[in-house]
Amino acid sequence: MSRISRRGFLGGALAGIASAHLSEAHGADEGSEGSGGSGGSGGSGGNEAAPPPAGGIEGAAQVRLSFSCNGADHVQEIGADDVALQVIRRGVGLTGAKLGCGAGTCGACTVLVDGEPHVTCLLPATALEGRQVTTIEGLSDSAEPADLHPIQRAFLAADALQCGYCTPGFVVEAVAFYDRWRAEHGSEEPDRDTIAAALAGHLCRCGAYQAIYAAVAAACRGDHDSAEVTYARIDGPEKVTGAAKYTVDVALEGMLEAKILRSPIAHGILHGLDDSAAAAMEGVIAIHRLVPNGHRVRFAGQEIAAVAAIDEATAIAALAAITLDLEELPAVITVEEARSPSAPVLYPDRRARREVLSASEGPLLSASWEGNVRGPFSSSILAKPRRGRKDLENAAINGTVSSGTWETQVLCHSALEPHAAVARFTGGALEVWASTQSCHDLAEDLVHRFGLERDQVVVRCPYVGGAFGAKVGLQMETLVAVELARLAGAPVRVALSREEELTTGGLRPGQIIELAVGMSVNGSLMGVSHQAINDSGVAVGNVTGMLTRLLYDSGAKDLDDFDVVTNTPPGKPFRGPGGPPAYLALEGAIDQLAHDAGEDPIALRRRWDPNVPRNAIYDWIEGLEVYQDRGEVGADKGRYRRGVGLAAGGWFHFWDPGAQLELEAGPSGFVARTASQDMGNGTRSMIAAAVAGRLGIAPAEIQVELGDSRAIYGPMSAGSRTTSSLAPAAEDAADQLIEAMVELAASRGIAGEAAPGGVRRSDGTVVPWLEVLDGAAPLRTSGRRRRDSQAAVLPVPIAHVKIGRTWPGVVNLSEIEIDTRLGRVTVREAWVGVGVGRIVCPPVARSQMEGATVQGISYALYEDRRLDGGTGHLLTHSLDDYRIAGIGDVPPIHVHFAEVGFEHVRGGAVGIGEIGIVAVPASIANAVFHATGWRPHRLPLTPSAMLEGLS
Amino acid sequence: MIRFPTTIEAAAASEGRLRAGGTDELDLRHRRITSGPVVDLRDLAGLDRIETIEAGGLRIGAMVPLAVLATDQRIRGGWPGLAGAAGGLATPQIRARATLGGSLLQQVRCWYYRSVHFDCLKKGGGACFARGGDHVFHSALDTGPCIAAHPSTMACALWAFDAGIEIGGDLEALRTIPELLGDGSDPRETHALQPGEVLTAIHLPAPTAGDRSAYFRTIHRARAEWPLVESTVRVHTDEAGVMTGLALAVGGVANRPLRYDDAARALIGLRPDDPKVDAVFAALGKPTEELPGSAYKARLIPPTLRETLDLALAAPPAEPLIETAPEGEEAP
Repeated sequence: MSRISRRGFLGGALAGIASAHLSEAHGADEGSEGSGGSGGSGGSGGNEAAPPPAGGIEGAAQVRLSFSCNGADHVQEIGADDVALQVIRRGVGLTGAKLGCGAGTCGACTVLVDGEPHVTCLLPATALEGRQVTTIEGLSDSAEPADLHPIQRAFLAADALQCGYCTPGFVVEAVAFYDRWRAEHGSEEPDRDTIAAALAGHLCRCGAYQAIYAAVAAACRGDHDSAEVTYARIDGPEKVTGAAKYTVDVALEGMLEAKILRSPIAHGILHGLDDSAAAAMEGVIAIHRLVPNGHRVRFAGQEIAAVAAIDEATAIAALAAITLDLEELPAVITVEEARSPSAPVLYPDRRARREVLSASEGPLLSASWEGNVRGPFSSSILAKPRRGRKDLENAAINGTVSSGTWETQVLCHSALEPHAAVARFTGGALEVWASTQSCHDLAEDLVHRFGLERDQVVVRCPYVGGAFGAKVGLQMETLVAVELARLAGAPVRVALSREEELTTGGLRPGQIIELAVGMSVNGSLMGVSHQAINDSGVAVGNVTGMLTRLLYDSGAKDLDDFDVVTNTPPGKPFRGPGGPPAYLALEGAIDQLAHDAGEDPIALRRRWDPNVPRNAIYDWIEGLEVYQDRGEVGADKGRYRRGVGLAAGGWFHFWDPGAQLELEAGPSGFVARTASQDMGNGTRSMIAAAVAGRLGIAPAEIQVELGDSRAIYGPMSAGSRTTSSLAPAAEDAADQLIEAMVELAASRGIAGEAAPGGVRRSDGTVVPWLEVLDGAAPLRTSGRRRRDSQAAVLPVPIAHVKIGRTWPGVVNLSEIEIDTRLGRVTVREAWVGVGVGRIVCPPVARSQMEGATVQGISYALYEDRRLDGGTGHLLTHSLDDYRIAGIGDVPPIHVHFAEVGFEHVRGGAVGIGEIGIVAVPASIANAVFHATGWRPHRLPLTPSAMLEGLS
Repeated sequence: MIRFPTTIEAAAASEGRLRAGGTDELDLRHRRITSGPVVDLRDLAGLDRIETIEAGGLRIGAMVPLAVLATDQRIRGGWPGLAGAAGGLATPQIRARATLGGSLLQQVRCWYYRSVHFDCLKKGGGACFARGGDHVFHSALDTGPCIAAHPSTMACALWAFDAGIEIGGDLEALRTIPELLGDGSDPRETHALQPGEVLTAIHLPAPTAGDRSAYFRTIHRARAEWPLVESTVRVHTDEAGVMTGLALAVGGVANRPLRYDDAARALIGLRPDDPKVDAVFAALGKPTEELPGSAYKARLIPPTLRETLDLALAAPPAEPLIETAPEGEEAP
């Protein structure tokens, strides 16, 4: 191996888009956001650049820009490459318009320029000259319903938003469409295609499209002309007005910007790093090494060092000035290469294996290694694996076996808010703002990592712009922000570019699953085997076999997972980890068995499926016309072929037994508080609904404070544990509060008993709670997540989690159409029945299911992370090439809740986050089989794959 | 460094990268593919107009936004395939900003070219990484050393209408689309404009009465996606429904847009539902062995053409413009 010296690459080329070119004209302090707004409104003062010369041939480094924003005039100095988004976010200081993709694809940065929607990430700032800009903040005077634009009210009413990060862009675009439409069409309702065409320049990663269609249609019908609106998402008003502040919007006095130097090669040893030139650059404040000399870099894009500078442009320039002495080693990019006998072994010994990363949501369990293969990890403990294999052998002789090999691709979480963190030390105390799904655990991690006291650390995440599993615990951006803040003695911000986000932000592992299901002559389940190869890059521990175990537990099963390590970025848990590939295989095999036996696919499943909620859902599906009239396999012979596919899925009942929630009641109202967070999944609204339900008042009367690690212990938002943990804790707190309020009432001469809304006197009149509380000292209660009546799988929690013995269930039904000429699969309509017990807050639960369905469609049809096979560099480095479902790809989705089977659970509700996605791809693949008689074994179902499969 | 020329001559004389809408140029600069002074055409007057020219044609200024092209009643009436192309690309917000000139001269979407990690042929490097690598969205036909598909939907559509390209305000020496784009043999070039040349307008010859046209792109998702294959078809039929003249332009499959003139001639005299039509199209869908990853795109050429032809035949015939006198001022 020759030694090479080469420069590390910039932390995402797109970083430049957010770079503060503004600063080039200003002093060092003036470049960063929140530093007094020097780049801001009307502040050019003595810093004016010369106006453009006559004829325009003589150039200037900076030019003066005059424009109006939301009715106020602004003058700024701008550079050639500045984009309008910077001018608005940094100069004007309005953060409603968001940087999402940086490439004009996602539309999160959309504002109105002279009334017309423009993406400001690709709009030269110079184009604003003399123009009138309207941002989301300019659409309404306040978040009061009466002040909102009808489109904003419609988004609230339809729950057309989840994390809210894309919402300002959608709302601004929808407002422009609405105004035009109403002017031309009055109260006529636009059809779906018209709405999709108008909103085609926006992406919602949470998948709120179904409700967005409904919102726009309703507003155009005139449904929201009146000033009132009812809505369930209690933080909705902040999100539809651009007032919600995400981590990327945090601006602190003197804040530095940090960028990360990443490995330019997929595998090598770092012998040296020369940062002397970078350190000497003006404006560079601190540099932190992440890989020591002599250590390996294991994938292209791995974090090597980070620089904090007065602005992003300086930080990026500093990265370019760092030289690396890297010894390049042969790299293994694909699973196929990694399994070849001649492949270099990436983790050759125990010491090296200590460096291996975990792709698992839970603790990493030990397993043996052979070459680059780790495993098997068996999910068959107490599932009679040997008998499972034997059963299958017997079924092959005397029965039927359905088997195959299914392959799924690597996916990117790609939440629209990138991984981002801001850190600030004040004395010994550390404050962190982070886009995280675990503010409490992150605070604990920081305490341990940096040797701080618990009361010295606070983590805040009031709004999180999507996470989907990629933002649990101490992530690299937070580590870097804190290290650099400590070194620099100043606040530091890190926000990944979209390219960085797509490289390392979060990846759903790919799989190759060999699966077989046996059926005896009398139709009973006779053995299941499931052998999975997981491609989690440099990480290990992804498990799929456990998901196969969750279904049809009457049979013996042999379930093994292997990891194959490669020199590619690490996998992370992604909504329903392991579920979609497992059910693609299992439900594909079962669909085939039913077909081969000439049996109704539900009838077959019912025979094997003891799951109470799923059986209730089967009843619902059997009643659907689309299921009854689905017809024979391959009935259509023409260009367009319709198919209906069904797939079942399961998930776990997890809860955090330590979860608590504090309720405070005073004359000004009710406040619920816990150290959990809302990443768009609706935790705030669910808590409000739970408390309000007990008190008998409107959820809007409950203020819910999340996203602060100093609050009483709350769960992380992962593993579908929030509702199952926090709804019971909230109701416990509410019950205690009711008791306390009744006592308080008695002490104040209001004798009576608790009733919805207040204390009922013997004469039947109800004294409202707030009247009871009037003038009294605030009451405070804290609720716990008490035990279920059914024992957990293990008596003690593992990693904060207890596991129930009864599983939630889901069944997806997809109706698709295939254009056999152009190789396109379109989902025409989707149905999902889900059994997660009691639905605490139906509108947000519905949104969770719809969003999961959208992500499942996107998984099955479009998304595909692609790396260059030679170098391991990411090819799908933008949202143009990493293709996620847009609004036009989303069909009508029907959600059915089967609220049975969890009467033994405290509060009756289990989590809903993951289960919605796990069986969607399988239902689509089964629909392709139904349409054509050809069963896909590989995702995504691109035109290329479809043309090949159907030929 | 930034300049705002107010005349074509000043723009031509300015050193630096010309920037019209900026939607592509800003992405290239953020990726550090282009750099240096910017010649911002914001203050260049007169290029944002659509004017009728003699004999019922149109002169469309290079700075006309694509959204305007897509909705202009004259273009929709006389050249619906062109309006369809302008309205079928990118997203509403991009179309509101991106200009006709910029859309003709934009850079390729190749993921190697747009990555900082690959010094490819187009950047002056030594290899096309897509050729031996992942070229699933690249050329299906091997027409030159760089196999990035030519990115310009508008170039492909304009070719179907035999548009003339006006350079530097010269109304006489119009260039053809192939002359504008070059032959693709130099991988560093995506077009053949020389330094100092400024694309100022395109000239659309008048449609013949009865001309029909349509644009269609084959994409994976419903909307807002770069085409796998796209085509613009112009067709003329006689009263009996027999095709008497055609232009077939196809994009997304080669490093330049393609025009299938031989195939178009072979269709003359046929009715659209004649099986020979599909046979002619089928012959155009032969993948090249050199590019296995994009072979499916070659297979999509015939159905894409068929789809476009059907759309064209279903569209109302062109409404030639009545007025023939130039509207407004002559070009600067």
